[in-house]
Amino acid sequence: MQLGDEPLNELPGTGSAPSRARFGGNPPDVDLHAACVVALLALPGMGPARLERLLTWCGSGERAWHQVTAGAPAPVVGAPGRQGSSSNLAARWREAATGVDPVARWKAHRSEGVDVLVKGKVGYPDRLVDDPEPPHVLFGRGDLGLLGRPAVALVGTRRATPYGLVLARKWGAALASSGVAVVSGLAAGIDAAAHQGTLDAGAGPGFTVAPIAVVGTGLDVVYPASSRALWRRVADTGLILSEAPLGTKPEPWRFPARNRIIAALADVVVVIESHERGGSLSTAEEAAARDRMVLAVPGSVHSPASAGTHRLIAEGAGIAVGVDDVLSALGSRRPVPLPEREGRPGHAGSARGRASAVDPDEQVVLDALGWEPTVLDDLVHRTGWPIEVVCTVLDRLRRRNLVTQDGLWLTQRGDSAEP
Amino acid sequence: MLASISSSVLRGVDGVPVTVEVHVAGGLPAFTVVGLPDTACREARDRVRAAILSSGLRWPQQRITVNLAPSGLPKAGSGLDLPMAIGVLVASGLLERERVDDVAFLGELGLDGAVRSVAGTVPLVDALAPSTVVVAPTCQAEAAVLGRHRVRAALTLAAVVAALEGTAEWMPCPAPVGGVEGPSSWEVGDLSEVRGQPLARRAIEVAAAGGHHLLLVGPPGAGKTMLAQRLVGLLPPLDPSVALETTKVHSAAGERLPAGGLISRAPFRAPHHGSSMAALVGGGSSWLRPGEISLASGGVLFLDELAEFAPAVLDALRQPLEEGRIRLARAHGAVSFPARFLLVAASNPCPCGNAGTPQLCRCSEAARRRYRRRLSAPLLDRFDLRLGVQRPDVDRLTGQGAEEGSEAVANRVSVAREIARRRGVGANSDLSGALLDRHAALDPSGRALLADALRQHRLTARGVDRVRRVARTLADLSGEVGPLLRDEHLSVALYLRAEPEALLGAES
Ligand SMILES: [Zn+2]
Repeated sequence: MQLGDEPLNELPGTGSAPSRARFGGNPPDVDLHAACVVALLALPGMGPARLERLLTWCGSGERAWHQVTAGAPAPVVGAPGRQGSSSNLAARWREAATGVDPVARWKAHRSEGVDVLVKGKVGYPDRLVDDPEPPHVLFGRGDLGLLGRPAVALVGTRRATPYGLVLARKWGAALASSGVAVVSGLAAGIDAAAHQGTLDAGAGPGFTVAPIAVVGTGLDVVYPASSRALWRRVADTGLILSEAPLGTKPEPWRFPARNRIIAALADVVVVIESHERGGSLSTAEEAAARDRMVLAVPGSVHSPASAGTHRLIAEGAGIAVGVDDVLSALGSRRPVPLPEREGRPGHAGSARGRASAVDPDEQVVLDALGWEPTVLDDLVHRTGWPIEVVCTVLDRLRRRNLVTQDGLWLTQRGDSAEP
Repeated sequence: MLASISSSVLRGVDGVPVTVEVHVAGGLPAFTVVGLPDTACREARDRVRAAILSSGLRWPQQRITVNLAPSGLPKAGSGLDLPMAIGVLVASGLLERERVDDVAFLGELGLDGAVRSVAGTVPLVDALAPSTVVVAPTCQAEAAVLGRHRVRAALTLAAVVAALEGTAEWMPCPAPVGGVEGPSSWEVGDLSEVRGQPLARRAIEVAAAGGHHLLLVGPPGAGKTMLAQRLVGLLPPLDPSVALETTKVHSAAGERLPAGGLISRAPFRAPHHGSSMAALVGGGSSWLRPGEISLASGGVLFLDELAEFAPAVLDALRQPLEEGRIRLARAHGAVSFPARFLLVAASNPCPCGNAGTPQLCRCSEAARRRYRRRLSAPLLDRFDLRLGVQRPDVDRLTGQGAEEGSEAVANRVSVAREIARRRGVGANSDLSGALLDRHAALDPSGRALLADALRQHRLTARGVDRVRRVARTLADLSGEVGPLLRDEHLSVALYLRAEPEALLGAES
């Protein structure tokens, strides 16, 4: 490897055994390749694709690390012009890598109770072996044995309606007690509800399977903060996985990348609610690309939170109206390829049009109301507000005909605004 | 010789003093009772004679006349047996007259001479002037409730005579216990067990605080009975005067009284819909027994399956709901019993119970209409609070912290009751006319809110004052002191008083 030689010479104390000096002792239980990959992953802008190219080009983790610490402007950093010039990125990598000891990093993960699963090594999930975009390294905390279970991903929007939340919870519980590992992303909304359901089922008597979460940040960076308690419970009873090393902050690109792992680890992907352009649609696409079966849950045609799932159904996804549908899909594992979604412009949600007429309190009540007939007790429960406040806000909405009452049932009116 | 013995009889739930005059004179042996005795009273002749003979005492073979004075008052029951027997013994010289000075007697006699208890001991004793009263041992605690009399008891007529003569001891009297009795929290359950029904929780708090009658409509299993029971646990202890009145009613009805004798906690009565008219509102052929509505006085009358009660029974409720007393016409004039109860009624929305949930009801349209017609508009109008309840969803039952318990809510309730008392009413449900205008005033915004509700048919003109009273109670519970009702309280009051159509479907 010619390219690797030059930078190594620049290091202090280099010689015939540069790696030994650099890695401070190299104890026998340390996987040097893995340690370097972990260190590389912590570099700014280091995504799975770039890492893959770098490793292919350099041949091993150690050599790639030396390239980076030397600040070599390698072709791996991508075409110039994207995210700064190649030399620019190389310089940033070098700066970030300065003073970093990959072995210490690796040890830090181990001492935090984090397992490092390396591609091609024992322990790497079977479902990822033939993946088109496998993570080189996967960090895990919890019960790795769960990866051997049949798995169903329950995913959906963060802006879920009560309808979707209740469903996610119930199905999460039902799947867990049917011996299925529920995979989700620990995001707010549907993801959190699905895991809450599995954990609640686990708290009861009887056999249940703990959930698997795949997150987009380092395993020590809880995001969103509202998921903290849930996060801890999943780590305690189930398994949390991430492609990112400890300390990795949330970055927008990491969540779609995380979705491909969710899709890959599941046998069936169920989208419970998704907006027209929701992130969970990308999970569905990734699943289709991997021949995983995709099921979508139909909702109200008024509900913007079901627009995305309805589109999936129109494009060939299976329909799930009950847990039985999910289980039978799991039994058949009949992959249904999704047609390409490119070139189909989405139309803006019509319901958003009246959002301006609704103040934040009213929006909370409308969200709690969802798109199904609902009784006042449910609204009080879902908002967690005092009855006085719920009733007052509700009266404002009724006066403008945004909510109607039939018997005891309150219903959101999807169409007109002013009476 | 003539003897006069003090005793009393029941008229309604009140005792009336009666003097048992016994005259023994020569002539053919005879035993006559005059002074409007009823059948049980006339039969006293046989019991008294047998009791005296089986007590080893002598029956005077003379002409005996018993007059029950005042003679215009009808006398019912068997409580005059003991005073008659004592009168016979005194009049025939077998017992010294001084022994019965300032002593009254109450009790039925067995043929073997046993002294038996009589219903209504509390009001009966209340009517007695003498300082000492002799009763059956089983009535001792009841007789001591008032605390004005020295209470004596003995097992048999012979023992009574011996104790009067000083040759034997009276039965030891149990120490009077001023205990707090009535449904304990163990019996009625704690409010913290009501989960996932925030509106129903609020409704029973409001009902307890404001004395508002409550109608719960919902399918079987929605916890209607549970809610009604929890409501009793929220009511404050009875005022001394109410406690005494309620105790008298229970005593007069022959109900078992609590260990301490006095009923100081709000009673809970839940008569079955198959109960007779007499059992519910009071009555009976000779002895006028108070009905369930009087036994519930001071507490809660819970009518489950309201639509299953006979229409005549439901009609009979209207007058006591209005006046707080039930009047019963009798041959010898009317009597009235107290009947100031908090009415909690429960009903299914339809015969199958599922009409509240779309698509689940299996009833025919005709069946639903028939069911609906059993609940008359005037009766439904009596309820300040009308609420639909559902079986709480599992989702609402799980999660979230513990619910507030009965004790905390009961404290708020008693504060609200105190506020109402300062307004000069027992509870806000009694506010009307000028008082209502003074304490539950409407500002323009509140007026607009109610006008809106009227326009939307969520409220009828008759219901306006009821909504204002409920809003006042909501305000009192929230610590709002101003006389103006706030929109938020009116708004909640409207939700707590659903129109019957919303709960039960249209009337025809
Ligand atoms: Zn029905």
